[in-house]
Amino acid sequence: MPPRDRPWRPRVHKVWAVVRREFVERVRRKSFWIMALLGPVFFAAVFLMPILMSGGGGVKRVVVVDRTTTTFGAVVAEQLDSTRRFFVVGRVPGRPGVEDSLAREVGLKNIDGFLILSDSVTDTGGAEYRASNVSSLEDVGLLRETLGRLAERARLERAGVDPAMVARAQIRVSLATKKITRGRTTEESAGQSFSLAYFMMLLLYISLLLYGVQVMGSVIEEKTSRIVEVLVSSLRPFQLLLGKLLGVGAVSLVQFAIWGVSGRLLLSQRASLVSRMAGGAREVGQVFQVPHVSGATALVFIAFFLGGFFLYSAMFAAVAATCSTEQEARQSQVPVTVLIMIAFFGSFATLANPESRLAVTLSLVPFTSPIATPARWAAGNLTALDVITSLVLLVAGTVIVTWIAARIYRVGILMMGKRPNLKELVRWVRAT
Amino acid sequence: MTKRFAGHTAVDGLSLAVPPGIIYGLLGPNGAGKTTSIRMIMDVIQPDAGTVRLFGERASGRDLAARIGYLPEERGLYPKMRVLDVLTFLAEAKGMARGAARDAALKWLDRLGLADWRLRRVNELSKGMQQKVQFISTMLHDPDLVILDEPFSGLDPVNAQVMKDTVVDLRRRGKTILFSTHIMEQAERLCDELCIIARGQKLVDGSLGDIKRTHGGHHLVIGFDGSAGMAPEVFGDKQLVKRVDDYGQYAELELAVGADAQRILQRLVASGARLSRFELMEPSLNKIFIDLVGPDAVHAAARPAVETARA
Repeated sequence: MPPRDRPWRPRVHKVWAVVRREFVERVRRKSFWIMALLGPVFFAAVFLMPILMSGGGGVKRVVVVDRTTTTFGAVVAEQLDSTRRFFVVGRVPGRPGVEDSLAREVGLKNIDGFLILSDSVTDTGGAEYRASNVSSLEDVGLLRETLGRLAERARLERAGVDPAMVARAQIRVSLATKKITRGRTTEESAGQSFSLAYFMMLLLYISLLLYGVQVMGSVIEEKTSRIVEVLVSSLRPFQLLLGKLLGVGAVSLVQFAIWGVSGRLLLSQRASLVSRMAGGAREVGQVFQVPHVSGATALVFIAFFLGGFFLYSAMFAAVAATCSTEQEARQSQVPVTVLIMIAFFGSFATLANPESRLAVTLSLVPFTSPIATPARWAAGNLTALDVITSLVLLVAGTVIVTWIAARIYRVGILMMGKRPNLKELVRWVRAT
Repeated sequence: MTKRFAGHTAVDGLSLAVPPGIIYGLLGPNGAGKTTSIRMIMDVIQPDAGTVRLFGERASGRDLAARIGYLPEERGLYPKMRVLDVLTFLAEAKGMARGAARDAALKWLDRLGLADWRLRRVNELSKGMQQKVQFISTMLHDPDLVILDEPFSGLDPVNAQVMKDTVVDLRRRGKTILFSTHIMEQAERLCDELCIIARGQKLVDGSLGDIKRTHGGHHLVIGFDGSAGMAPEVFGDKQLVKRVDDYGQYAELELAVGADAQRILQRLVASGARLSRFELMEPSLNKIFIDLVGPDAVHAAARPAVETARA
């Protein structure tokens, strides 16, 4: 058909109507607000739980069962007491049967556990800690470290080394890690950049799936309710698809804004929250290192999320258009979901080695770059040029995929019944 | 225009002209190509050959959506949206401004007695009410051309009446209505002009009166009162009767060329038949339809697997 001149205003108006409907209907739903609330709760859990868990146990009341023939037992008891993690209730000589009576005490919760020491600690390095809870890595670690240090000193002293010299030899090295991001030294630690990369990957993965599936649901709803025929008699299928993507995309941005603001509020209140809930004055930030999110990082995150969102949502829409029921769609979406999973797990696997060939490939391929590139950016070894290259490829890929998806969508939304096979799909795409 | 689906031609060289300001019926058995034709008119699907002109313009139904009201055969609404929002959105999608769409929706809801339901969700409404809402969505933007695909199918009697009244009212206001149906009685009462199609091809079109004159021939309706005498023998006389539709106690006859109805009457009475009715009349549209389409066409045209077009 010859080109017809169409004024752009009505066309934009129609797309806008679809955008508004998608946005308003979604934001009105309860599920949106549940997600909006769950985000900060999840966020708080991730940042506060480790502190609460480690602080929640409180001071462990222990008894030292001393079977040593030296003063070693007394020194250990004294040192443990000074850690403030352990309160040494007493030191008892190792009579036979003492373990059983102490175990009863643990059962009655009069004490939390007991440490059995013998000369073998200094000789062969063996000791035993029995307690109601031995899963606290921090407590056990502290115990092991204290015992090890003291045993080492005892052995050296026995060998005739000057105790002062031993003390000097045992001064620990404190290693401060500072990340160099794009040529500048920052205050960020390795732990921080890892947690930032991990957190961004997880958020991208969940959001791409969540909002992609929402687009799919929207297409299926219009198909199963048969309203789609009236719609495509009023606007072009592409306008409908575009409006849908923009509408759901806007919802996701609002969701991120809510999460971002509430996350920031939570972080700023973290110190007081922790001290109030944990009741102790433990050093905040010791357990989970809070990453610094710069403006550039937020920008990279949003840009790649949007790119990935359009790419994957277009595919989800095309899949939905070939299905007639929700169950069918749930089965058919698997290839798309697997692609997102590859992007997530591939990025996760290469996080430790972000310069590897696989990591570079993942951040260049449009299907994986929405997750891989922000992760590598957070890990701190991408230049602006790398990011732009990746983004350009992503945009190009998105345009191509959306074009194909729109053609499948255009034909598919009016088809009911049998799902098309690959040959038919190709014909749909090539049809004029 | 022509539309082919995989190994199947749904519409084959169909040509229609619908004059403005009338009610035009598109008639045909199931699978004849009605819905496919309407979808091509609406530019929902594209013809493989041929063109569609609307209001004399070469623009697609979509671009002229603001002037067309379209009620497809497979119709639905967003089940979770509020009634007023659905109507506003559908009118907006046709190019209407939001404020005007809202006002018109409220007016229509009030007129059809649904004003109290405007903030309810669609799936809280009864089926009849949903039909009314669908109906409002077709008429809301005051279209010049209304295209209704099987408008009466699935309607409850009350809504069928509302639909009929509205169609008549639209025509009175100078609008054009094109509707498809396979229920001949309705078409006969409503249509100014019509087109009968079968297997994707046009069999006849024109005004109802013309079609009846050209395709009617002389028709005779006979009612028996108990005994039919030797009626089958009389009806079998090819000199007198061209075609017969015999129900036992009732028969519709098409006279042979030059035959005299009085001869039939004499012979029937002579054979001992008791008559309750003997009437020369024009044929029903249903009769013309069956004659034209033939009994086999009613069962014909299996649908292609991937296409729902119940045309």
